Amino acid sequence: MALIKDQQLSLNHVATPDIRFADWLDDDLIKGESVLTNGADDLTCLLANASKLDMIAIEFETFADGRGFSMARLLRREGYQGEIRAVGDVAMDRIEFMHRVGFNAFELRDDQNVNEALTKLSEMSVHFQPSADGKGPAYMA
Amino acid sequence: MPRKFKIAVSGSDSDRAASQVHDIGLHLYRNDAGQMGFEVIVGGGLGRTPVIGKTVRKFLEPQELLSYLDAVLRVYNLNGRRDNKYKARIKILVNAVGIEAFTKMVEEEWQFTKGKDLRLPQAEIERVKGFFKAPDYLSVEHAQSSLETEFIAHPAFATWHKQNTRDHKQPGYRIVVVSLKNQLQAPGDISHQQMDGIAALADEFSFGELRSTHDQNLVLADIAQRDLFNLWLKLTDLGMGRANIGTLTDMINCPGLDFCSLANAETLILSRQINETFDDMNYQYDLGEIQLKISGCINACGHHHVGHIGILGVEKGGKQVYQFTLGGSASNDASLGKTLGRSIDQDQVVVVIGQILDVYVQQRETDETFLQTVQRIGFAPFKERVYGTHQRSAA
Repeated sequence: MALIKDQQLSLNHVATPDIRFADWLDDDLIKGESVLTNGADDLTCLLANASKLDMIAIEFETFADGRGFSMARLLRREGYQGEIRAVGDVAMDRIEFMHRVGFNAFELRDDQNVNEALTKLSEMSVHFQPSADGKGPAYMA
Repeated sequence: MPRKFKIAVSGSDSDRAASQVHDIGLHLYRNDAGQMGFEVIVGGGLGRTPVIGKTVRKFLEPQELLSYLDAVLRVYNLNGRRDNKYKARIKILVNAVGIEAFTKMVEEEWQFTKGKDLRLPQAEIERVKGFFKAPDYLSVEHAQSSLETEFIAHPAFATWHKQNTRDHKQPGYRIVVVSLKNQLQAPGDISHQQMDGIAALADEFSFGELRSTHDQNLVLADIAQRDLFNLWLKLTDLGMGRANIGTLTDMINCPGLDFCSLANAETLILSRQINETFDDMNYQYDLGEIQLKISGCINACGHHHVGHIGILGVEKGGKQVYQFTLGGSASNDASLGKTLGRSIDQDQVVVVIGQILDVYVQQRETDETFLQTVQRIGFAPFKERVYGTHQRSAA
């Protein structure tokens, strides 16, 4: 599995954690600095604990579950500076939107093309909607 | 987001967008202080769980429309149900937490977005408004016509004018509703010859603009009075001149089992039977405004829940039977119809419609519409008439 981080192919990075946020919260013995979470976790609680984490991997279990977008957006809004990694169903046509709401790392499946993903991250130069990336709508430019 | 999402916008005092049965309904209006703004309604919908939407914000300044809707969508995205697709719509969330709690969640989220990037600058609002400039209307002297001679020479034209045209804010102009509800075609159907014809008429008479309506008709929005007679002649030639807007035969009808793979029952056979049985236009005019809406399955594409008379086709034991609801409305007084009683066999549907209309005609007071009569006298007289003597209904 390839990882794109900060708009380039990453060759040296921390593996995606297998410690789930709920377990991390419950068990003092596994207080690592990265967790795996998804839309089913308590977001208020995640936001409260985010500053203790270097990396938060948000899993998209199915295409239809878009809660990860709101999670990333709110983490950035609350000032989280660490890595937010998209894992699971990281569909090519949504990578750019994931990037805009605050994801800065994307775990690709082996059947997904790294160059295509990199293109997706930069091919749109104007947007309708403002987001966490600070880019305003075209009419404000 | 958990599932599909539909927004309806109404800019008129009378709600013609069925906005109270959408995920979000927006009513643009002027408040007592003279400012324009939106009333925001959330959580309406039809289908298997019909719900009338509830007001989440009474007045929203137009500049904050996007920031506020962003907040509604985020609350829905984070809290909407994911475990069951039938329960994933915003109406289920609003009903589960209650409108007060939902409003509070939206207001809390809105505090982060209000007045920031999503606030629309007045210049942008004006720029977009520029795309909706009024057409190049003729002066009133050139546009107007009393049409008196035409009315006298052609009573059918006078009837069409009364039934199918509406007042216009521009002096000398009328709004024309083109009926797609003739006797021979399925409600809302239009042939390619008719499409070519109506496109030419839009170019000739209405600034090249043609609108389609959710009740399966077309609108030519800007017709000078002096053109009305010629337009009517040409519409009549195209088979689109039927003067039945707002009447019983101006029904909404989904395609039903004939064309739709989701349907459980035929619907087009009902519109055929209704047109054959109630073919006396004077009877229809006497009945006044009646909204008849027919769906061939529970997904309610025919909006049967909000029909004054609603008909839902279902399949029971290999037979197609039809459930009647009465008293629904999609207008400002939006309400969901209530079930009349047990299902009716296909060959008895027009009989039952006739019985329901008979009760109305017998019981109505002066100027009382069908809907008002149902609201006043309740269901008992209708039930007595339909089920008291009628023994052929399905179990």
